[in-house]
Amino acid sequence: MPEPTDNRAGLVCVGLNYKTTPVEVRERLAFPEAQVPQAVQQVRGLPGFVESVVLSTCNRVELYATHALPSGDHGHAALRDYLVEHFELQPEHAEALVLYNLDSAEAARHLFRVVSGLDSMVLGETEIFGQVKAAYKTALDTGATGKTLNKLFQQAFTVGKKVRNETTIQRGSTSVGSVAVDLAEKVHDLKECRVMLVGAGEMSRTCAQSLLSRGAKSIIVSNRSYDKAVELATEMKGTAMKFDEWEHSLHEVDVIISSTSAPHFVIKPEQIEQTMRKRRWEPLLLIDIAVPRDVDPAVNEIEGVYLYDIDALQTIADEGRRERERQLAACERIIEEQLEKFGFLKPPGQPQHGFIVS
Amino acid sequence: MPLSQQLLLAATLTFVGAVVQALLALKSGAWKQGRAQLLLMAGGFVLQTAFIYLRGQEVGQCPMKSLPDILVFIAWSILLLYFLVGPAFRLSLLGVFTAPLISIMQIMALVGGFAPYAPKGKINALVELHAAVALIAYAAFALACITGVMYLIQERLLKRHQIGGLFYQLPPIQGLSNAIQRLVRLGLLLLSIALGTSFALQTSVSNPKLVFSWVVWALYAVISILMWKHFTSPRKTAWLAVIGFILPFISLWIVTHA
Repeated sequence: MPEPTDNRAGLVCVGLNYKTTPVEVRERLAFPEAQVPQAVQQVRGLPGFVESVVLSTCNRVELYATHALPSGDHGHAALRDYLVEHFELQPEHAEALVLYNLDSAEAARHLFRVVSGLDSMVLGETEIFGQVKAAYKTALDTGATGKTLNKLFQQAFTVGKKVRNETTIQRGSTSVGSVAVDLAEKVHDLKECRVMLVGAGEMSRTCAQSLLSRGAKSIIVSNRSYDKAVELATEMKGTAMKFDEWEHSLHEVDVIISSTSAPHFVIKPEQIEQTMRKRRWEPLLLIDIAVPRDVDPAVNEIEGVYLYDIDALQTIADEGRRERERQLAACERIIEEQLEKFGFLKPPGQPQHGFIVS
Repeated sequence: MPLSQQLLLAATLTFVGAVVQALLALKSGAWKQGRAQLLLMAGGFVLQTAFIYLRGQEVGQCPMKSLPDILVFIAWSILLLYFLVGPAFRLSLLGVFTAPLISIMQIMALVGGFAPYAPKGKINALVELHAAVALIAYAAFALACITGVMYLIQERLLKRHQIGGLFYQLPPIQGLSNAIQRLVRLGLLLLSIALGTSFALQTSVSNPKLVFSWVVWALYAVISILMWKHFTSPRKTAWLAVIGFILPFISLWIVTHA
């Protein structure tokens, strides 16, 4: 096996993601976490290959490698064959497999975009940064990286940080769940935040899960079907409450997410006024996901009460997405500058490297 | 212009620069709590400290006798508390809101001018301590006022569903509410200590400075009890912290001209 050396010219990336490949295929081509170290060694062990990093997440599978083969095409073909063989794809599936094949600067640009969250399903999301770091660490620990990939990935992390620090690409919420978290964070310290679900719809479950994943302290689930409340409470490590009891506990929670199917208002101003007195004016966030609405809009007039219905949440999420899209050009500019700085691109006016994108 | 005032001017320009930089960044939506903001504030603080030191040398005592000197000393104390309190309460943006008040106070001081003090006999350390602690207490009330403004803005953004750049930068309203309460309590404690020393100094009860200080103390004692007993909502409390600061601010002018 050749020793890793500086081989930027032989840098390749072969991959698939949520844009190129449907989930039914992606799930078949995902490397389980425990198998990644082995896969890294297998790729590095392919004839002519020098270094490798395997990135496998729910949205993408990408193989980064350096090789000493005659051309990038040979490298792409070898990696494609590896994937087909490793996952034992039937010929018809192998033929239908759509992969992106990138070389040198294009591969670097792609990695920089991935790390910065620009290639993610949710533009600007930050989780991918950690996933790439973990993938690189696995490869590093198994000794599959050398000068080129070590340098490339370090540069990628620098670029990712720079993009996040110099733009607002990660700011704002792009989904109803994340809007709920942002709002809760601006009302309370999330770690002390107690959440109540009134009704157990899918959307309220998503919001509650988002809050819990970000550190909310506890959750109470109340639903007309007590069994469903128990099921959901168990899933979220919370407490179930009978539907005729939730009103008595309103003052004990900081965030109420309501999504019942009631045809009338379930939460009324007089209830909340009483609740606020008991809470000694501690602020209360109400998220009304139900249609028709569960919470009387007059509740928002009460001091210390902040009411958001589904339209308000959706508007904020839409604005968050638009804001991130507005930041895209600035992010791309940073990446291009960094590609030039790291020597992947020559300054404008000079002939560029011959990149192969197929 | 003496060197001390040149330093104060430089400090003021630094704070104005910090405000402009933050406002431009906020307007473009790219504002982030960063090292640049902190460095500007720290730079201004060093310049302020140098001014107070040189001014003390010029007048041969703690420069806290004339209104311009008092304004600068309070501005310096506000910044000192900002560095101590800001990180503890995780109050991002506090600097941005603090800088305009400090700039205004220092501009007022520069416009007012720094006259020499009348010759003074032996310096009484207790008198100096009394004055310094009282002014730091006023700085705590000023910071409570600034935090109150931040609370009212964030509360308004939340109520009106105006979720944008400033919303993401301002701290949670509950954190702001707690910070207001703590700052008012801190100010009250410091003012109580300052007034306690006045007994040791055997100051005349009809001394206008003392009378106004007791009025300020009484006002903040009432505000503190209202907060402590939750008689009012956090929003009203924030308003009290904001409006309440008008009294100590005006009293400074009255007592230095009495």
